[in-house]
Amino acid sequence: MGRVGENRDPTRDRMAGQERRIDDTILIREAQHGNRAAFEELVRHYDQAVLRLALHLTGTEHDAQDVYQDAFLKAYKNIGSFRFECSFYTWIYRIVTNLCLDHLRKRNVRKEDAPVVKDGDGGEYDLLDQVPDGRAGANPERDLMRRQLGARISGALEKLTPRERMVFELKHYHGLKLRTVGEILHTTEETAKNTLFRATQKLRGQLADMR
Amino acid sequence: MKCEWVRENITLHVYGELADDARHELEQHVARCADCAAELKAEQKFHALLSQERSAEPTPNLLAASRMKLQEALETAEQGGFWRRLAFDPANWLRQVNFSPALASAILILGFAGGMGTAYKVFDHQPGAPVATTKTPSPAEASITGIQSITQEPGTNQIDIKYNTVSTLETQGSLNDQRIQQLLLFAARNNYNSGVRMDSVDLLTKKPDVLQVRDALIYALQYDTNPGVRLKALDGLGGFVKDDVQVRDAVLQALVSDSNPGVRTEAMRLIEPVKADGSVRGVLMTLAAKDQSQYIKSQARTMLAQLPEID
Repeated sequence: MGRVGENRDPTRDRMAGQERRIDDTILIREAQHGNRAAFEELVRHYDQAVLRLALHLTGTEHDAQDVYQDAFLKAYKNIGSFRFECSFYTWIYRIVTNLCLDHLRKRNVRKEDAPVVKDGDGGEYDLLDQVPDGRAGANPERDLMRRQLGARISGALEKLTPRERMVFELKHYHGLKLRTVGEILHTTEETAKNTLFRATQKLRGQLADMR
Repeated sequence: MKCEWVRENITLHVYGELADDARHELEQHVARCADCAAELKAEQKFHALLSQERSAEPTPNLLAASRMKLQEALETAEQGGFWRRLAFDPANWLRQVNFSPALASAILILGFAGGMGTAYKVFDHQPGAPVATTKTPSPAEASITGIQSITQEPGTNQIDIKYNTVSTLETQGSLNDQRIQQLLLFAARNNYNSGVRMDSVDLLTKKPDVLQVRDALIYALQYDTNPGVRLKALDGLGGFVKDDVQVRDAVLQALVSDSNPGVRTEAMRLIEPVKADGSVRGVLMTLAAKDQSQYIKSQARTMLAQLPEID
């Protein structure tokens, strides 16, 4: 399980984290005094992760862009009430996960099947496949297999409850600690652990034939 | 039982979420139990399978378009900040009072002194009857801050008015006097007159070892609108940059974002003894790279040049 960052120097990581915190604190205070440039700088620290999360969970660039915009606008309007009781990281993730959960719930109610949609000939395809992937290269067979695998995984993820999906996404694809996931979702680490366990069990059941 | 426990925790193990002792226990068991070893392998394979997919980052185009759209929206967006701050700050201020007994008692003293509810009875003109009877202080002696209630007793022409007043009181004492310290702390944060704030901060700088005084100085450094007061607060905090992280952060913040060049220059001088600290070094690097002030930029570079390299 070669996790990224295992070989990094922890002292340097800690220092970088400390620098980022001070940097963020300064930017937040400036933004709280109405400095828009400071807020935009703050956005740049987090927006790639936010967009990635939104893209994975909504499945379309258009919806991801909407979630991104709503999240940061909400943050901008409410930054005056940010009291440094948690990190800005947790705060912005809390906003974006709430928006994504709303989106997932609405989609479940509407029984939409995105990101798998039908093309002109009635065949289904995964919108995430529209995201270019350099790994596929010029190998059409491998590309096809990858698409099939992607469609199966997306289908399995769609069957999770919004909360299970969120915990799995934050843990598996974003590598967040379950304690942080709990904080973001206003729940305990223990509940986040149970939810992750349930989600992986369901996914393993769904994708049993692929192992 | 052991196998059941292992199966329940294998997911957490694969995600690196098990506590060290539990991880050790699980690894020991897996080394002995073939079934659980197979289960672990299957879980790791499944983890890898899921990781093959959907790790795609948003394209640079999407990111750029999203940023641009957000920037446009921010042009017209208004922060709920101003009114919200008005609504929230008193609550925050009261929260601080909770943790600050000295300030709380100062407010209490002022409250007692100033907000005395006084009954003021007015009688109709009757021969031989007094025109008005008042309880001290009379309205002429103290400013009226508000009327609490006006009632007329049924069947009589007697009116009962309850009102609050603020009267000016005077107190004297040395700087070691608790009451004097409390009033100075109150004045440093709350007075509208910057001259009074300056005087109180100036006196408080002589007692920076008292924690509440240090907090008040940090507050003045961060929020006082008058650069002279901020500079005074900086002077008082200077001796604690080394030992108090909160002071160090406040000085760093002043160095980076204070609008007054004099305050920034003084902050730069104060952090000199702690320039090797990780957070200070980070700030110096940022300043050396992109600060608008040439002086700050060159000072930051000089300080960095004096530091040993970190590998």
